[in-house]
Amino acid sequence: MLTRRGFLQTATLAAAAPASRPKRIAILATVYRPLSHAQHMGDRFLTGYPYGGAWHKPDMKVVSLYVDQKPEGDLSGDRAREFGFQVYPTIAEALRCGGGKLAVDAVLIIAEHGNYPRNEKGQTLYPRYEFFEQCIRVFEQDGRAVPVYNDKHLSYSFEKAKTMVQASRRLRFPMLAGSSLPVTWRLPPIDLPFGCRIEEALMVGEGGSDAMDFHALEGLQCMVERRSGGEAGVKAVQLLEGDAVWKAGDEGRYSKVLLTSALSRSDTPLGLTVEDGRTQDLVASGQLQNLAKKPAAYFIEYRDGLKATMLMLDGAIKDFNFAARLSGVPQIQATQFLLTPEPNVSYSACLMHKVEEMIEAGAAPYPVDRTLLVSGMLESCLTSKLQDHAPLETPHLNVAYKAPQRSQFAQA
Amino acid sequence: MSNPVRPKLAAIVTACFKYSHAQHIVDRLLDGYGWNGTHHYPPMDLVSLYVDQVGSNDLSRERASRHSGMRIYPTIAEALTSGGNKLAVDGVVVVGEHGNYPRNEKGQTKYPRYEFFEQVVKVFRDSGRAVPVFNDKHLSWNWEWARKMYDTSREMGFAFMAGSSLPVTWRTPSVEMPLGARIGEALCVCYGGVDSYDFHGLETVQCMVERRSGGETGVEWIQAYRGDKFWEALGQGVWPKPLMDAALCRSHTLAPARPGFNHVFPAVDDMRRLVRDPVAYRYQHADGLKCTVLLMNGLVRDFNFAAYVNGRSEPWSTQMYLPMPDGRTTLASFFSPLVNHCETMYLTGKAAYPVERTLLTTGLTAAGVESLFRGQTRYDTPHLAIRYQPAKESTFWRT
Repeated sequence: MLTRRGFLQTATLAAAAPASRPKRIAILATVYRPLSHAQHMGDRFLTGYPYGGAWHKPDMKVVSLYVDQKPEGDLSGDRAREFGFQVYPTIAEALRCGGGKLAVDAVLIIAEHGNYPRNEKGQTLYPRYEFFEQCIRVFEQDGRAVPVYNDKHLSYSFEKAKTMVQASRRLRFPMLAGSSLPVTWRLPPIDLPFGCRIEEALMVGEGGSDAMDFHALEGLQCMVERRSGGEAGVKAVQLLEGDAVWKAGDEGRYSKVLLTSALSRSDTPLGLTVEDGRTQDLVASGQLQNLAKKPAAYFIEYRDGLKATMLMLDGAIKDFNFAARLSGVPQIQATQFLLTPEPNVSYSACLMHKVEEMIEAGAAPYPVDRTLLVSGMLESCLTSKLQDHAPLETPHLNVAYKAPQRSQFAQA
Repeated sequence: MSNPVRPKLAAIVTACFKYSHAQHIVDRLLDGYGWNGTHHYPPMDLVSLYVDQVGSNDLSRERASRHSGMRIYPTIAEALTSGGNKLAVDGVVVVGEHGNYPRNEKGQTKYPRYEFFEQVVKVFRDSGRAVPVFNDKHLSWNWEWARKMYDTSREMGFAFMAGSSLPVTWRTPSVEMPLGARIGEALCVCYGGVDSYDFHGLETVQCMVERRSGGETGVEWIQAYRGDKFWEALGQGVWPKPLMDAALCRSHTLAPARPGFNHVFPAVDDMRRLVRDPVAYRYQHADGLKCTVLLMNGLVRDFNFAAYVNGRSEPWSTQMYLPMPDGRTTLASFFSPLVNHCETMYLTGKAAYPVERTLLTTGLTAAGVESLFRGQTRYDTPHLAIRYQPAKESTFWRT
């Protein structure tokens, strides 16, 4: 094993070497089956994707694949044969392409889907940290580190997630992670003004925990991180469920005006709209409470005092919408994160374009700390749920970072 | 925009059932809709409704029972006069889409938009007063009637707005054709049938190309290509393949050309396999601009536009995004900007964009059908010498 000093010297040397074309990519996936994240994302590097009104082919080559599970419908063998790469039995072999040294220029960890146990908080124990650790071992042993993209949250455990980010800092490789919500199209195409003062923010979403609540929290976070002073970290969280969610609204713990605003961006109100097509003012009509039988509210109190709420409203809507009130701005800022339909799910192309940007530039287009913080917010919210919905102080979530001023969502 | 008096409106519709155009429009006027980040209630009252066909799936009666301010009348005249003998409303919306109406030998559904319009203007004439009218979709399946509708509106001097929601819906990306742009060619790849969604494709193109240098000059001829002739024309490069490719790259609904893949770019052979009955309308404007609308059922389920702009060799492109309630959404929110523009017209007495656009696309739709009917031959359109200038301000959904 190299010393840190020795590693850095080697890494510097490696970085100074002229880049070879095309860049070589290893994909580490839990499963590679139809409509899995691995297929949606991995295939972009094999067959290209639409970007900016043209079919874009990354100047990159997938050279190795590791799949942890091969369920029915597994595509890994077919893809390897067609696109001329190898499926390796271990992560280390995938990274070294069967040789003795790291032989790729970037790694994609796509550990979503597959059959993995859940813990008592309802978190699926996807082996993202475990995959990442094996990458780190290879990086350290071989004295070279390459950019890593980690799909979705870093780990179900904040401690593990933090270790991952620390490793990327220690070994100085760019790292990108998270959901496609922050980078997909928005309706309307707005970002919060950089450096704005946010009075209150609210996000609505739907789908199960801990898959879809993560997306909703990242949608929220990519908006509020642009506030004055930058991201300061999270001081406390609480998760409420059932009638307590409505009671909290009645008590003003979140703004019903913002909730109305976020829902006004939804294209998928359920209930009477499904019945006869009508439009609905779900909050004013009281239908929201009838439809969302098992609502959940994720309350996030930031260290700089900002309070944000994410409501999971299964049964009421089927999309993800954001609203915020800014100081001195009468108009509420509200938008929908457009999740384009299956099977194209072109939002995953938006995300893979960011991965490509990182690999090309050697720097992440937005900080991985966003996903680190959201991973921790989610875990703590689920801990609150397990502890009878108790409010929890989260001193460990002192994750401060600066968002990039330039908007990162799809606009071109 | 403060208006102390709430305008009263009448809606004249063919049929009102779930996801019909009438339901989308009437419900937005009655129940409001999401707009500018809130649930917007129009500052006007829909007081009268006429429904031509009331089937077992009708929703108008349920709507009237929930909205006591709106009454259903048995005739158009009564709806406009609220049962009296003088025009009693400040605006009219005509929705002649859906319902059981005969088709002619050319495949055009004979929706009674002209007939409805004639009855509306009869009340205007009898009352000595005319109010703004919105006509959903094209003016009439019959060109002469459409022209007469337009001429009548001009003679009587009332605001008249019409057309599709394609020009006013979201775009991904959210871009506008620069006013005064030089356009080399323009093209739309979309889906749907003849005398139906072809109109939406034509409006998609027209709302963009009308902004070109000099404004709209009218159309000289159109030629339709269908089936084998479509594929031949594609092979011969009758329309620019790079524009077609660019438009396809704006789609969110590209049918996978290969099993096991979610999103791959289709080769022409893939398209031939996926699209059973393709239709192209290719037409030339009086200033020489050539445009093409491609109906490619089986390949896409959205409306995508591409053009050569200002001499650039790279296509300029966008998607007119319809959040379609065909399983993708539950609300057809693209009716929201359409209704919002109507509201503005009823409040200001001015159409937000020129009805000449829809007069031209009405004529193009009928001319495309005619070219198909005449064995896919070129059909000269001297009657479509329609010149107009576009609205300077963008009118698509951005807020």
